[in-house]
Amino acid sequence: MVDFAGFSMPVQYESIIKEHEEVRTKAGVFDVSHMGEFLLEGNDVIDFLQYIMVNDLKLLEPSKGQYSCMCYENGTVVDDLVYYEEAFDRFRMIVNAGNIEKDFQWLNEHIGDKDVKITNLSSKRCRLAFQGPKSDDYLQPLVDIDLSTINRFYFAHCKLNGMPIFIARTGYTGERGFEISFDNEYAEKIWDELIKTGASPAGLGARDSLRLEATYSLYGHEINDSITPVEAGLFWLVKPKPDNEYIGKKILIEQKTKGTDRIIVGLNLLDRGVIRDNFKIYKDGAEIGYVTSGGYSPTLKKTIGLGLIKKQFKAEGTELEIQIRNKLLKGVVVSTPFYRNV
Amino acid sequence: MEFKFPDELKYLQTHEWVRIEDNIATVGITDYAQHQLGDIVYIELPEIGTIVEKGSNVAEIESVKAVGELVMPLSGKIIEINTDLSDKPESVNSSPYGTGWMIRIEFNNVSEIDDLLTVEAYKEVVEAEKK
Repeated sequence: MVDFAGFSMPVQYESIIKEHEEVRTKAGVFDVSHMGEFLLEGNDVIDFLQYIMVNDLKLLEPSKGQYSCMCYENGTVVDDLVYYEEAFDRFRMIVNAGNIEKDFQWLNEHIGDKDVKITNLSSKRCRLAFQGPKSDDYLQPLVDIDLSTINRFYFAHCKLNGMPIFIARTGYTGERGFEISFDNEYAEKIWDELIKTGASPAGLGARDSLRLEATYSLYGHEINDSITPVEAGLFWLVKPKPDNEYIGKKILIEQKTKGTDRIIVGLNLLDRGVIRDNFKIYKDGAEIGYVTSGGYSPTLKKTIGLGLIKKQFKAEGTELEIQIRNKLLKGVVVSTPFYRNV
Repeated sequence: MEFKFPDELKYLQTHEWVRIEDNIATVGITDYAQHQLGDIVYIELPEIGTIVEKGSNVAEIESVKAVGELVMPLSGKIIEINTDLSDKPESVNSSPYGTGWMIRIEFNNVSEIDDLLTVEAYKEVVEAEKK
């Protein structure tokens, strides 16, 4: 067990590699109750989010969710998150555990005279991720809704063995799957029901190795309050939104048009070893960046990583050196994602 | 969680085990250490012939989640390394005292053996760490 944003959480139940493989081949259940959940209500919620978020709310419709970042005026990231449109005046938002208070404050500070009320449901509800190629088959018998009617990034409210849940076809593993949330009182029962389907419990370790293979950004690593979404390679996320002003727009659109001095790239190691977060990256002896996330890929059976480096070295095939303790090992820039099955 | 600590071995506070036969010591990491590290994916061992001092770290044991060390229990010369670990580093997880052994040293100072922990003393170290 480790302390993670104030929660005592398992890095692994048995083995990270085994849990990782279960999710890639069958299904796994992750307890992600540490994450935050807000409800935003009011007539101006869409206008409000359009001003706070870099993604475009016009692409959203009721019963659909959207991944986005909210940024500071200088373009760096307050948090990355997903919000779901339950109705034009009611949105559910899932945020990173370590950012719950900061986000709640940031959102409230920017309401101004808009008709928006934000409720923090984080401690009243639990969240589980049910991920893997078998997740539909395993889950279908438990719920009173045809899961095939929920497309990727869409959601529904339904019952799981009589217990009310919010269920979205979203995830952070690179496999098909669902994320669900429900009132605390059902937590143990729902966990047990999901494990009974044949899915394996999966911990924080597998969650990290799966998302790294799928190349999903992790707040505090690929994005944070000193890295912009454009630098993190999330070009597609930053929308022009010609009819709307939004926080960070000026810098982000400029970065998207002109490019940035540094950029996140995929890395493989040509020598043997494992690269980890914050290892320094060099080219011909000069420091050019650092590893934002690194580790062993159980699917590819080799070391993979992401690094924030100077843009002139971003071309695939560029060889560079990564400092592992007192040695320099040979690495190479590769395309991403490393693996994705959605 | 119950860990195995064979009675006939000596131990270090840093979670290595030592099997002493004549003037040769075989060294690996304990069942507790492999469990703490989790799935081991790569081990870099020193070259044969390397002269090592007691207390120095000679290997890098990379698991999915962390990196571990192999601290030398005795001073001497490395005379053999477990080359099978190059392809099967997971042997350290499945058989820490058997196929997961790491190096053999020819030691040169018998008195250093007195500093090694008995199995009873090592079990106390583990119990204290678990708390």
